[in-house]
Amino acid sequence: MSVLLRTQLAGVGRRPARLLLTGLAVLVASFVVYATVLAQQITERSVLNGLSGTPEATGVVVQNGDIRAADLAAVTALPGVAEAVTRTEAYVRTPGGELIVATDPGSGPLSTVTVSSGRYPQAPGEIAVTPRTVERMDLRAGTTVTVTTEEGGTQTLTVVGVVQPLEDIGLLAYSGLGTVQKLSPAGAQLNRIDVRLAGDGTGSGVPQEISKIFAGREGAPEIATGAETRLSEARAAADEIDQLFLVVRVFVAIAVIAAGLIAASTFRIVFAQRMRQLALLRAVGAGRGALARALAAEGALTGLVAGLTGVLAALALGHLIPPALSAAGIELSSPGLPLTQAALTVLLAVVITVIAVLAPAFSAARVAPLEALRSAAATGAKPGIGVLRTVTGLLFAAAAAGLAALVWNNLPGPDEDYTMAETMMLGVVASGGLAFVALIALGPVLVRPVLAVAGWPLRRLGPVGRLAIGGVGGSTRRAAAVSVVVALGVTLVTGVLVGGDSIRVLANREAVAAAPADFELRGPGGAALPAGLADTVRKNPDVTRVATYRWAGEATVGSLTGSAVTDVPMAQVPRLAGLDTESGSVTDLAPGKAVLSRIVADVDGLDVGDRVTVGLGGRQIQLAVAAVLGGEAPLHTGVLLDPADLTALGLPAAPTGLLADAAKSGEDGRTAALRSLRSVTAGQPDLAVTVLADQYDQITDALSVLLAVALALIGLTVLIAVVGVGATTALSVVERSRESGLLRAVGMSRSGLHTMLTTESALYGVIGAVLGVLLGVPYAWLAVSAIGLNAPLTLPGGQLLAVFVVLVALTALAGVLPARRAARVSPVAALSTD
Amino acid sequence: MKRQSAPVTGRDGTAAVAAVDLVKVYGTGDTAVRALDGVTVGFERGRFTAIMGPSGSGKSTLMHCLAGLDTATSGQVLLGGTDLTSQPDRVLTKARRERIGFVFQSFNLLPQLTAAANITLPLDLAGRKPDTVFLDRLIGTLGLAGRLGHLPSELSGGQQQRVALARALVSRPEVVFADEPTGNLDSRSGAEVLALLRDSARDLGQTIVMVTHDPGAAAYADRVVLLADGRPAGEIHQPDIASVAEALQNLAASR
Repeated sequence: MSVLLRTQLAGVGRRPARLLLTGLAVLVASFVVYATVLAQQITERSVLNGLSGTPEATGVVVQNGDIRAADLAAVTALPGVAEAVTRTEAYVRTPGGELIVATDPGSGPLSTVTVSSGRYPQAPGEIAVTPRTVERMDLRAGTTVTVTTEEGGTQTLTVVGVVQPLEDIGLLAYSGLGTVQKLSPAGAQLNRIDVRLAGDGTGSGVPQEISKIFAGREGAPEIATGAETRLSEARAAADEIDQLFLVVRVFVAIAVIAAGLIAASTFRIVFAQRMRQLALLRAVGAGRGALARALAAEGALTGLVAGLTGVLAALALGHLIPPALSAAGIELSSPGLPLTQAALTVLLAVVITVIAVLAPAFSAARVAPLEALRSAAATGAKPGIGVLRTVTGLLFAAAAAGLAALVWNNLPGPDEDYTMAETMMLGVVASGGLAFVALIALGPVLVRPVLAVAGWPLRRLGPVGRLAIGGVGGSTRRAAAVSVVVALGVTLVTGVLVGGDSIRVLANREAVAAAPADFELRGPGGAALPAGLADTVRKNPDVTRVATYRWAGEATVGSLTGSAVTDVPMAQVPRLAGLDTESGSVTDLAPGKAVLSRIVADVDGLDVGDRVTVGLGGRQIQLAVAAVLGGEAPLHTGVLLDPADLTALGLPAAPTGLLADAAKSGEDGRTAALRSLRSVTAGQPDLAVTVLADQYDQITDALSVLLAVALALIGLTVLIAVVGVGATTALSVVERSRESGLLRAVGMSRSGLHTMLTTESALYGVIGAVLGVLLGVPYAWLAVSAIGLNAPLTLPGGQLLAVFVVLVALTALAGVLPARRAARVSPVAALSTD
Repeated sequence: MKRQSAPVTGRDGTAAVAAVDLVKVYGTGDTAVRALDGVTVGFERGRFTAIMGPSGSGKSTLMHCLAGLDTATSGQVLLGGTDLTSQPDRVLTKARRERIGFVFQSFNLLPQLTAAANITLPLDLAGRKPDTVFLDRLIGTLGLAGRLGHLPSELSGGQQQRVALARALVSRPEVVFADEPTGNLDSRSGAEVLALLRDSARDLGQTIVMVTHDPGAAAYADRVVLLADGRPAGEIHQPDIASVAEALQNLAASR
């Protein structure tokens, strides 16, 4: 070991806290980077599992074509195939309504159901039903039911168990292929075959072998990999899936940048101290090359240890969270073990640390050794920034603004076919990154103006408050270094909150318009309901808030043809009050007025107060626009009218449908209401009862997945900010123990010093939070606009205020421990610190 | 220029600050070091006293204990008749703020405060308004009039030490302690600072206790107290460079 390396390591031994804090920054950085990689995996897997009906173990899917029962055996017999199951179903009528009997292996990795009571069917004629089916159709385990097949025959089925499917639609049973085939019309084809591959399932050539089985057949089925099928199924279930994944990936990129920034800002504070020591070594004759090698070795070692620890900690956390959340009722998938990313993260940690320890060596080499020794104590006290730094900062700020303007000018129109989401989001992230570099460069200049405003009330609090402001404002570089970390955290949290709020409004808008009530009862294509039916329903105690409405397709609105129109009474359907309006107010709806969906309004560029011609079956009336909605009008229509106007258009007075809510809440109330409505419509096969409440649940379920993702991301960002601030504050206190000693010597009390240092940390938090909100809100709005979901731009003021307060409190808290330590050290010891 | 043993002063009213049988032990067991081994010494009001001794003689420790920066193992420190040794930190803090001033070897100004703010820092901490007449006189005497708005990094070493001196004097403390105040200064700036210390004792009646190992600096004092191995080793009244140097040499030879 060289003398220099030994000197460095001896220095580490003398001041382990300093290395620990340096290493901690790298540790946290690698933890955050790797945790984000794992979070991406958890999110993508959870979303796919939630939205796709194909199990993760599926290697190959054969579907959409002429698939016969014999093919299943042929596929199963292929080498490289571990298991092949079919997914197909039969439709039968029971006394309680229609029932779907689907196939499933019942166990193993390809099963999509879990048995919750009883057992899975084995013998012919046995079925297992889903919990909702038990309730709604009264099919309990142990009962038998006589069913009518599509061909008209009757069979008796025995319910032997209850199984939980991926999605419980309430008229669903499962059984083996034999039973399902007996219930299906003769010669019915299979819907699809799912194949699980043997071994690791790659490169086995199985898809080619399978395609040989179907070769030459007319209507040969499609053969796709399980991963492709899962993704396309998820896409079909939720249009936003690609955008969601994009957001998560963008977040990974931001987290990597953030982690780098924390490490950099921590190191900047260590630099001054280090520089002095290195200058001393240079002064006594250490060569520049030897010094660099010794430092690089030390840095590489620190980086390796810190990086590995961080990655392992993230891995442990990533595999602990899903089981923990599962206990709380939230289902998340476990992440895998992405080794490449792990290796890259450790490498990143090593590189960052080596650069960080080398940087002061190069700085020390540039200045004369004696000068470096003398000025070390005064670093950080210089108020301004150099010309070069100013110019660099302004250039980066200009680049950020230019890029943001470019994105702004290319934002999509409301219903434009939009394919640039990924490029645009990259633009937003790049602009944000540039803005942060500018903030780092110009930070010291920005500290004072923010402090002047934010520190005003503190000045009234006496000398301790004034000293705290003086301490922060006097060393603007240090203040900027700490505040930038807070600003980054606040920017990310603000971004997630603003984005999340926009999506919440968007989802709520969809949910309210699609499902204004629990149930909808209507005839086909706008046919009138039988006379007296509505009154019968109203008398039923199981349902409440019954509202009748009329519906007509093929209306003309301005220059748009084929729009649906309805007169759902707003007053009688309370949930419609939650409709999101772009402009105007839904309650203004009156005879002579119309509420338009956004799409309809945009065709002719209509806004509140404009006049619009609505035509139906040859008649036309002129109406004033009362409100424009953010999305669709209720019941998937384009126009909402007053009943009088619909009558004026020549629509008969008889209602075409009705909406109703269950009288009692919960699944039982819903089931009772559904049975009542079915009994009312019994014998009238044209009338359909739709459980809108189930749709509403699905949308809110999807929302809660999004919310869980957002919460995890918020958790990570808060972690970044708090640990970053904790480390930098602790370092700043360590570096300034001399000042603390002096203040104690000239008569500041222990509690006064404690208060002053804590106030200083809180002030770092205030400056950072102000800068963070100022950057975060515009960028979040830009990102929400750029992603092309037509989501509204919202400002969740209360939540932002809470974030502000919490972050300032956390930064103050991060300063409490170091402040306590500093206040406890005796003045003599503090003054003698070098 | 006669040597005599230190008088036991303290409660008689003439001493501004006094140590009575003061003992300070660092560490425990085999590694214990007796930095002060029963020191009894008084410092007269309105006079400029220097504490001298070879390295490790305990002179800095004595000053730290006298100033309430450090607590003694046993014995008493009497500041104007108050015993500081058994006081809680709150009382010591108040004493440092209102009754004691400091000048350090390395200036120890707060880098983020201007010269003016550094000077009035102890008054600010005590929540007191400075006596503007006295403050102006002080600033004039110390030649700081044009430098009040500067940050410490914009001042020379001598100017920084004069700011530190103004900070020590502004609250008119009972005692100003100076710890090697010229150690970091060139000889001309050092001489200026020492002359200012002597003048504030002479003209303002300020009690000053200075620790130094430089006979030239000690020659500015009214009296020199010698310390060796944690014990008093005589004193010199109206010292000059030659007498102080000789006394130090005798101390070194007798060990």
